[in-house]
Amino acid sequence: MLLMAILSANTCQVSKTLSPIRGMTGRLLVACCLVWLAAGSARGQTPDDPLTLVTPQDRRPLPTVRFDGRRLVAISELATPFGLTIADVRQPGRLTITRDDRIIVLTANEGLVSVSGQLVALASPPLERDGDWYVPIDFIGRALALVQDEPLELRPRSGLVLLGDVRVPQVVARYQRAGRQSRLRLMITPQTEHVVEQSDNRLLVTLDADALDLVLRDMRPDALVADIRAVDGQPALVVELRDGFGSFSATTEPALGGAVELVIDLQPRPVSTTRAAPPPTPPPGPRRGAGAGPPAGPGTGPTALIPGETVGDAMLPLLAELAPPRRIRAIAIDAGHGGNDVGTRGPDGALEKDVTLAVAQRLRNRIESELGLRVVLTRTSDTEVSLDERAAIANNDRADLFISLHTNASVRETAIGAEVFYLRLAEYGEEAREAGFTGQLVPTVGGGSRVLDIVPWEMAQLRHVDHSARWAQTVADELSQRVPMSPRGLQEAPFRVLVGANMPAVVVEMGFISNPDQEAQLTSTTFQSAIVSGLLRGIIRYRDEVESETLPLGPVDAGAPDASGRLP
Amino acid sequence: MKRDYWIYGGMGVVALVGIWVLFVGLPRWYPSEGMPTETSEASGRATDDELVAATLFYISDDGMRLVGFERRLVQHADPAVQGRIILEEQLAEPPAPLLSPIPPGTELRAFYLSDQDAFVDLSAEVALGHSGGSLEELFTVYAIVNAVTANIPAINAVQILVDGKEVDTLVGHVDLQHPLELNMQWVADPDADATQTSPVDQTDQL
Repeated sequence: MLLMAILSANTCQVSKTLSPIRGMTGRLLVACCLVWLAAGSARGQTPDDPLTLVTPQDRRPLPTVRFDGRRLVAISELATPFGLTIADVRQPGRLTITRDDRIIVLTANEGLVSVSGQLVALASPPLERDGDWYVPIDFIGRALALVQDEPLELRPRSGLVLLGDVRVPQVVARYQRAGRQSRLRLMITPQTEHVVEQSDNRLLVTLDADALDLVLRDMRPDALVADIRAVDGQPALVVELRDGFGSFSATTEPALGGAVELVIDLQPRPVSTTRAAPPPTPPPGPRRGAGAGPPAGPGTGPTALIPGETVGDAMLPLLAELAPPRRIRAIAIDAGHGGNDVGTRGPDGALEKDVTLAVAQRLRNRIESELGLRVVLTRTSDTEVSLDERAAIANNDRADLFISLHTNASVRETAIGAEVFYLRLAEYGEEAREAGFTGQLVPTVGGGSRVLDIVPWEMAQLRHVDHSARWAQTVADELSQRVPMSPRGLQEAPFRVLVGANMPAVVVEMGFISNPDQEAQLTSTTFQSAIVSGLLRGIIRYRDEVESETLPLGPVDAGAPDASGRLP
Repeated sequence: MKRDYWIYGGMGVVALVGIWVLFVGLPRWYPSEGMPTETSEASGRATDDELVAATLFYISDDGMRLVGFERRLVQHADPAVQGRIILEEQLAEPPAPLLSPIPPGTELRAFYLSDQDAFVDLSAEVALGHSGGSLEELFTVYAIVNAVTANIPAINAVQILVDGKEVDTLVGHVDLQHPLELNMQWVADPDADATQTSPVDQTDQL
């Protein structure tokens, strides 16, 4: 009726019997109507990628729809595969589903469902639309699994629904480039027998499983690899190779949590001056590996596949050698708080900002005089500096290590001891971690191109966090020999001042200024000197370690500290 | 001339009807679903009179960790309302000898959900009344985050706002620029530490 009225208004306008004002009114109403129609269509449901139901017998799709940004599945689609019966007696706004003697009750627009009398929370409420009911896909794992006789699991990232005794290992694939070489790392959880074989211009990794739960990260085509993808309907992934590919080597290493890491190094086709003809195609042949078995050394890989090319491969640098050299030349010292931000306050009035500045200046003097390293102070006086600016100062002055000094406080006066923190990565998610290693191809002066790591400013620390863990361990070890430590001397935490630091970075809480005894210590020359000695010794130890070892490509998986604060 | 009055009048009626349909009728006929929902006690509706066990977090005797303490709170079917009920209890003064990790006077200004993230808007007292220590700040943040995420599985992460605004930190340490997930790193394990006087399995009937 509204639309008819609007059309009528426009008809009148066309007949030029109405004034321009009336014409504008009509246009306004038409525009409102169109906006409403557009909004209405946006609120509707649209088909989404189907889930895949995997059983020991077969695989089948489970259709899903997207509604207001939520991924939903219709109850009618779940009924047959999961043996559900929808009760005939339907109450308005309520749906009862049974499976044998177990009952699920859905209530429209309520976030909780009743499963055999037990309340289960869903990500969003069920919807009733056009006679069918839709539930968020987590309904499968949270509610439906409770009424099934067989194990039922939802893998939301890969869209798999596992019913019954099926073996579906999760494979997290990371593709890294270094110079002309590439490395494909497959973390397989739990460890599973696998075979890597080359066939013409592709590598096939086949797992002894019913299906593959593949999470692929950082895949960008390059000169060696055109694509990496799962093989439809098979527990396998395929690496599509390019002409620049020469050979590969595969190794396996046991990993934490019962996983195994399969590392496939891809070498480019060597440029040979002694042979006019291209190297023969390597004979296809499977290479079997297992998580617990001894790793197959690189020597059995490419050299065996391409006879006569070992010299060319040997001339290529190892991946580990491509890591940038590490030298400790400059230390950034951040005296916590300052200016109007006094930090914590002791019972006798000592201020955190004064203690941190005093220790920072002592530490600077000793580093410069005893180690000859350059020191960057984020503040040299009682001034207020923002947290992000502190990291920026260290980054701009190209510091190689970052120490942020603080004193702690507690409502319990008895709290005592120093603590060392490094950035807790879990708070920033796996995606953020990956962002720290995203390569971008950029042109260079004089032609050509090179790959640069593009790191978001606020995530600069992510690529250093494994080294920060070792740096923090070293500092905690040295401090523990000189000052009292808290029961957990080494910890991870999402501290803002660390996030933007583009170098290994730690926060050192020197003691609890809220404890009267520790307040006296923290303001004393003797205690401050002990702290400075511990930090100085930590710098020396860490510098000697990193400058004497060849660091592996990529992050070192330092893991989390155990209850005693020690890294594994 | 008289015909023009009828046309003007008709147009006015049509415009009024259109405005009513757009701004009153349609929202009634098609209520919004799935939009972020802010809740308040006034809009809250308890499904029944049953109480539900919820774990809240307070400072341990030695001040070096949080301890879980089980309370029985009014149960509500809506996760947003349930979250508000839990948080208001977490912000309240705990019974002695428990000590709250949240500065006194802190009030819950708003609590709302967007997908699986909860947004907790606290009054400025949470920062102004804080002791300023990093461990204490961790306790404050994770008492709030854990109280929500440990008790309401539908909520995956919590972002803390202060006076309605995003903040870098409360008092200079813990990064609050993004939602935080459940983290029991600073919560005492009752099995590993039998010396705690307020273990998780203690209950307090409200």
